[in-house]
Amino acid sequence: MTFSLSAQSLIKNVGSFVVFGSFAVGAFFFSRFLTAYLLEDVKIGLFLFHRFMSMLLFVFFVTISLGNMVVSFSTLYRSPEVHFMLTKPIPHLTIFIIKFLDNFFYSSGTLFLAGFSVLLGYGSYFGFPWHFYLLMMLGVLVPFMFLAGCTAVLILLVLMKLASRVSFKMLIALLVLFYVAQIYFYFHVTSPIDLVRQVMQYYPNVNLYFGQLDPPVSNYLPNFWISQILFFYATGKESAVVGYCALLILSSAAAFIALVLAGDRLFYSTWITSLTFRSFSIKKFEFTGTLFSFQKQSRFSPQHESILKKEYWQFLREPSQWIHLVVMLFLVFTFLSSVTSMDFGLQDPKLRTAVFLVVYIFDAFLITSIALRFAFPMMSLEGDAYWTIRSSPLRASKVYWTKFAVVLVLLAIPGLALAVLSNVPYIRLSPLPQVTTAGMGFIAFALVSLNFGLGSYFVNYDEKNPIRIASSQGATLTFLLCIVFLVLLVIVFFFPILAVFNSIYYEIPRRNSWLYYALAVIGVLSAVVGVVSHVIGVKALARDV
Amino acid sequence: MIVLQNLTKKFGSFAAVDNLSLMVPQGEFFGFLGPNGAGKTTTIKMMTGLFTPTSGSIVINGFDVQKNALEAKASVGYIPDQPFLYDKLTGREFLYYIGGLFNMPKKKIQEQTAQLIEHFDIGDWVDKRTEEYSQGMRQRVTITAAFLHEPKTIIIDEPMVGLDPRSARIVKDSLKQKSKEGVSIFMSTHSLEMVEELCDRIGIIKDGKLIFLDSRENLHHHKSKYDGKLESVFLELTK
Repeated sequence: MTFSLSAQSLIKNVGSFVVFGSFAVGAFFFSRFLTAYLLEDVKIGLFLFHRFMSMLLFVFFVTISLGNMVVSFSTLYRSPEVHFMLTKPIPHLTIFIIKFLDNFFYSSGTLFLAGFSVLLGYGSYFGFPWHFYLLMMLGVLVPFMFLAGCTAVLILLVLMKLASRVSFKMLIALLVLFYVAQIYFYFHVTSPIDLVRQVMQYYPNVNLYFGQLDPPVSNYLPNFWISQILFFYATGKESAVVGYCALLILSSAAAFIALVLAGDRLFYSTWITSLTFRSFSIKKFEFTGTLFSFQKQSRFSPQHESILKKEYWQFLREPSQWIHLVVMLFLVFTFLSSVTSMDFGLQDPKLRTAVFLVVYIFDAFLITSIALRFAFPMMSLEGDAYWTIRSSPLRASKVYWTKFAVVLVLLAIPGLALAVLSNVPYIRLSPLPQVTTAGMGFIAFALVSLNFGLGSYFVNYDEKNPIRIASSQGATLTFLLCIVFLVLLVIVFFFPILAVFNSIYYEIPRRNSWLYYALAVIGVLSAVVGVVSHVIGVKALARDV
Repeated sequence: MIVLQNLTKKFGSFAAVDNLSLMVPQGEFFGFLGPNGAGKTTTIKMMTGLFTPTSGSIVINGFDVQKNALEAKASVGYIPDQPFLYDKLTGREFLYYIGGLFNMPKKKIQEQTAQLIEHFDIGDWVDKRTEEYSQGMRQRVTITAAFLHEPKTIIIDEPMVGLDPRSARIVKDSLKQKSKEGVSIFMSTHSLEMVEELCDRIGIIKDGKLIFLDSRENLHHHKSKYDGKLESVFLELTK
């Protein structure tokens, strides 16, 4: 947080504190509620509960790793600050370590807060003592995230070294393949559906330790170590915790040492190599004769055409933008292809509701993530060239709405696709699929509006790195507001969806009107969020440049 | 024509521009001088719509910049002190982009860009991305963009930064020609030689206030009180 005595920054910082604090409190209660719900109402047992946590932590680890890698590439190899520091008598390794740590803490603040709040909620359910939280924070969460960060940058250094010998395009393709393969093989090996079936055979004795069901490869994964730590703590076998904690801490220390050694050897030479990289595109574009060439006539007005074509070329010619988008969309559709074939064979209405809502909210969360990464920085990416817009006979609001329309269409399509395909297992439960799909349309509008509008309010024309913009204090605040919105969605949709599954299980008439009321509420909520965001965003454009 | 009436810009309690009033008739080449931090760039940013005045008014070619901003800006070509461009566009694409923002028809943009690219001699590299440009190359593209829509008024903040002597000559000649054609030119610069060579009238601003305003002809009288140099007049007035 930055502090200043002006009224505006005081309000901003107090507002941030309130939002962050509310989020932390919300995460605490949500975590506690979910733990109680899964263990007492759904009765999945401690073993399954912790194995699900392990799977979530795996995805968390991959996400942090990938995110760190992309951000670190920008910070270490594209940053004017690093360029400047390398011209000074500062050891290369010092610069590397400082920028790595700066990056890590800059982008991890919210995750730490979220992780700690969730831990508090989880721990409060079991009534753990105060030293549990200290151990979890310092001995588990921090090393886990640090390990993910170090691994990511190690891979990046190796990639950059190979890039001097092998085509950069090939390396990116291999990297994407590697991460996708990782996720595929992990879920293929751990097979959550088979695990649930195997454990449920022992119902109601589901709190036992079913270590024989864990695949051997799990023992080498840090997410597994954490789930073991939590399981043994929850079952009172605290002596078993120490070993896994030590493993986690030693692994993160070893990863950091390896990173320092690799950085010392590779950072400067790879930085020199990166200077020779030219921006590459998916095919070689000639200026004339291409579809969106400035020279070609279009159906849009001259001003709209200029804005749209400028956005198009600025995006397409920045590899960190379109590669990141392709990767995120690829992950979205990988998730989609899994979820459409997922059939837990569940009967219990509460469990079915929980599964439905988890998938639905995860869909919305994916849209939030993409909106934060691409919609939030859009106005800031005008950069110092924004003078061209403010000094021309063009209303800044025209630029605003044109950009918003582009990003809304681009994000609404995957959002609706997510909703449609997530509803494939429920195709016969009309109007549930139709209502929730329509709801996702409203939700996508609200989330994109929130990110775009607040991105305009928190605009920073000096920052050229879209990833750092999307990791800023304003972006974090926006992300938390999105999470609050998603929580409201759960509250609105919970009972109507539970009513649908209850009607099937208990063979009673279905109350479809509840679904429609919920849709109306979401529509109104989304409209309010959208309007407020846009009023704030458009007003902010009038500020001095 | 440019009319600044009691123009003030405050940042908190600090008055960057303090009750500034002046008029630049149509076709006049006006030189705007001042020490660093005097308020030159702030004045220009208010004239071009980048800053909102705290009080006062700016009328350009009959249009109030705050009330009829679009009409006022449509007749202005602006050359900022820092020529920031969109890094991923080529110089030519940037010119087309600017032409579109000024609602120019495509054919007109094509004709003007071809003509101006040749005039400012930027054809060798105009199809490269601006991220590869030097400071001087960016400045030349920015100047070209300002001329594109044939503005009635040109507002320039330090036009010669990064320009080599040949390019500087081309720019000076172009500005002189535009002035003869009846275009009002409002130029802020630190180059006293350029002011003496080109400007019809000169204003000097210090601490946000206009402290000197006179024609180039009358400047000789002021210079004669010192050692015959404009520099001495400037230094004496701004000390």
